[in-house]
Amino acid sequence: MSTLHVVSHSPFSDSRLDSCLRICGTEDAILLCGDGAYGLHAPALHTKGVKVFVLAEDMQARNLPLPDWADSVDYPGFVQLSIDYDKVNTWL
Amino acid sequence: MSKSLLVISRQAPWSGPSAREALDIVLAGGAFDLPIGLLFMDDGVFQLAPHQNAKAVQQKDLSANLQALGLFGIDDVFVCRHSMAVRGLTPPTEAQPLSNEAISELIDRYDQVITL
Repeated sequence: MSTLHVVSHSPFSDSRLDSCLRICGTEDAILLCGDGAYGLHAPALHTKGVKVFVLAEDMQARNLPLPDWADSVDYPGFVQLSIDYDKVNTWL
Repeated sequence: MSKSLLVISRQAPWSGPSAREALDIVLAGGAFDLPIGLLFMDDGVFQLAPHQNAKAVQQKDLSANLQALGLFGIDDVFVCRHSMAVRGLTPPTEAQPLSNEAISELIDRYDQVITL
C-alpha cells in the first residue's frame, strides 16, 4: 500500500515535513505545494530517499531550482498522482 | 464493507479547533459503526496529559470526549512513542504506543487517512 503525503507548510517554520519523513513508508511519496515547496531546500528530504514531487507553479513562483532528486508536476499531474497512489494523506 | 478511516490528531488541545474536530470526526464515525482508528502524534499527544484545566482558559474540556471513545466502540487508539518521548511524557494506558515504523504500517492498513 502506498500513500501520497501532501505537505503545504515550510519545513523551516513547521514540523509537518519532519513528522511526515519520520513515518513515511518506502512505497510512499511526498508532494510539496504552497510554502511546502521550500522543502526543496531541506537536506533531510533528499537523504531520506523517498520519492519527491513539487507543484510546478509553486516552485516557479518562489524561483526555486528543481533538484535532480525531485520531479515537478502540474495540476493534472497532481490529480494523476492522487489516483496512482492508494491514498492521499494531506498534512492539514 | 465501509472503508476504514485513520484520523491522525497532531495539534495540542489549546491551539485551536483541530484537536476537538479530529475527535468529533472519530466519534461521528464510531456512531455510524465505521472501522475507525485514532492516532495521536506530535503536539496531539498533549491531549492525553492528565489533570488539564480547561476552565482556567475559559474553554471546554476534551477529556469527556476522550472518555467517550470506548462508548462509541473506538478501540483502536494509538499514540506516537517518539512524540511522547521528545516531550518527556509516558504513554497513557488508554492508547497503544507505536514506533515510527509501526505508524507507517498502521497507515498502510487503513483505506483513508485524515491528518489534522
